[in-house]
Amino acid sequence: MASYGPPVYNWGAARFGPHAQPQDKNGSPGLTLIRTVGLTKRYGTVTALDGLDLELESGIIGLVGANGAGKSTLIKLLLGLVEPTSGLGEVMGRDVFSQGPELRQFVGYMPEHDCLPTDVSATEFVAHMAQISGLPRAAARERTAETLRHVGLFEERYREMRGYSTGMKQRVKLAQALVHDPQLMLLDEPTNGLDPEGREEMLRLIRRIGSEFGIAVILSSHLLSEIERVCDHLVEIEDGRLVRSVPMTVLTAPTHDLTVEVDSDGGQLADRLREHGVTVSSNGRFLLLQQEDDALLDLIRDSVVDLGLGLVRLEQGRRRLEELFQPQATLEDEDDSRG
Amino acid sequence: MTPVADAPAGAIYDIGYQRYEGARLGRRHAIWALYIHSLRSVFGIGRSLSSKVGPMGLAVIAFIPAIVRLGISAIVPEEIAPEEIGLFRPEGYYVMIEIVLAIFCAVVAPELVGRDQRTQTLTLYFSRALRRQDYALAKFAALTTGMLAITAIPQIMMFTGNSLAANNFFDYLQDKWTDLPAILGSAILLSCLISSISLVIAAQMPRRAYSTVGIIAAFLLTSIIAASIFEVVDQNIGRFVLLFSPFEVLEGLTLWFFDVAPDPDSQLAVANLPGAVYAIDAVLVTLLMLALLFRRYEKISP
Repeated sequence: MASYGPPVYNWGAARFGPHAQPQDKNGSPGLTLIRTVGLTKRYGTVTALDGLDLELESGIIGLVGANGAGKSTLIKLLLGLVEPTSGLGEVMGRDVFSQGPELRQFVGYMPEHDCLPTDVSATEFVAHMAQISGLPRAAARERTAETLRHVGLFEERYREMRGYSTGMKQRVKLAQALVHDPQLMLLDEPTNGLDPEGREEMLRLIRRIGSEFGIAVILSSHLLSEIERVCDHLVEIEDGRLVRSVPMTVLTAPTHDLTVEVDSDGGQLADRLREHGVTVSSNGRFLLLQQEDDALLDLIRDSVVDLGLGLVRLEQGRRRLEELFQPQATLEDEDDSRG
Repeated sequence: MTPVADAPAGAIYDIGYQRYEGARLGRRHAIWALYIHSLRSVFGIGRSLSSKVGPMGLAVIAFIPAIVRLGISAIVPEEIAPEEIGLFRPEGYYVMIEIVLAIFCAVVAPELVGRDQRTQTLTLYFSRALRRQDYALAKFAALTTGMLAITAIPQIMMFTGNSLAANNFFDYLQDKWTDLPAILGSAILLSCLISSISLVIAAQMPRRAYSTVGIIAAFLLTSIIAASIFEVVDQNIGRFVLLFSPFEVLEGLTLWFFDVAPDPDSQLAVANLPGAVYAIDAVLVTLLMLALLFRRYEKISP
């Protein structure tokens, strides 16, 4: 079965690894990670996904949408778990349904729901799953040990999973999606049920997988703050239709807000800036300014020096996803980039 | 350059994430890995002690007649003509342990397929290098192999015991070698039949308690109902009713393989169907059950 050879998707490592290249050797743009054309899925009379046209390059892609918007259906279609009613879906150049088993050797999936047997150890289970993804037995065992270490499971990995906490289960779920070194990981609400600390760790790990490990990630979440922190591209779906597919930089573009913090009372600085006609409001220890041009930055620097203050923070504001997803928000910026 | 001797001993280095550059063996390997894993599960290997008790205990019970035979031949060789004792006749062995086989499947099949549905692990299998039918096929092959282990192996042990107990080992082999293909053929067919029926029921009813009861009922009730109908309806039609009873089919095909006539008082003798009909029936029912099993996994929502 020559078609199962590993070199087919080697672009993934080249684009993300320590020697990441934005373009391939021929100088052409990076290969398409996901392409859907008119992808539709109906369950009886209910249309879960309606003619989705999407083209995504690799990266850490956030998939957002309300419950029932079609996120999970899209993920299942991309995995070949369900057959499309109509349309085309390709992942890394392979048809998701007709070439499913071959393709899924290079794809990792972490479902939202519980999916772990209780009466086996994490080590046994993850090694078994690696083999079902096509890895030889010895390689599966070796990578299992390494992967469980990466997700932060140590001695407890030899215990039956029935006693695991939610955080440990989430780590095992992530490990089984990572163990076969996929080139794409589909993570469906990976922080569900985690406490704030566990959530932080999980997000850090996902960011690391996407940037350091060199694996493309599609992260489905209903928490915009998570998407904003981790992802560099956003896809929004609503009622089974694509609302937007834009780079995160467009959505979180800089604003004119400027936050200034000094090491002592900021009142003197506020007065000095007001003397120069700058509108200043105070938010506790911070001064909030409206930056019209770069001259204000020079004025702040000079004023701080004149008053003998220490400048702790000078930060330009950025738009936040939460603001953009308010019903009354205007979305003129990203409309241009909608794809 | 720092001399090696000066390097700190026992330091742990984070070598970072390693990409996997080795072989990816694809779907066939995935099916094989699932088959081996499932076969181990059939006997509770790699699981807790409580998971082993049921299948291992039943397997031991299925082996008891064979062990007794070997014991007799070891203690009192040549004292008892083996083929004179009904207990040790190969064509009667499966009928003797048929209830054990049914209970074995009722214990094992719900664990084999129901567990993956209960814990929703099925989603993880379907999102790997497998097709849905591959999953069903691997499970069927595993349970059938497990069944073969507790049907064919004791028979082969008995055959060995009988041949060792015979006056002349080589003469016995010359006379009875045809028993070996009969042992294997009947064991394969009945294992396929019983395991496919059990898996279809277990896959439809993920809850263990229900599927265990369902499987036992499928074997016992169909036999009782078929036997009752057989008694009351016209024999021209009624004799075909036995084809709906797995236990009658099991006995019919075994007798056919060993070329032995049924007991004159039995319903099989009264029905007087050609023995091959039972074998064909077993093949057709197995194929039907496999089709139902494939359909079940085709439709199941991951």
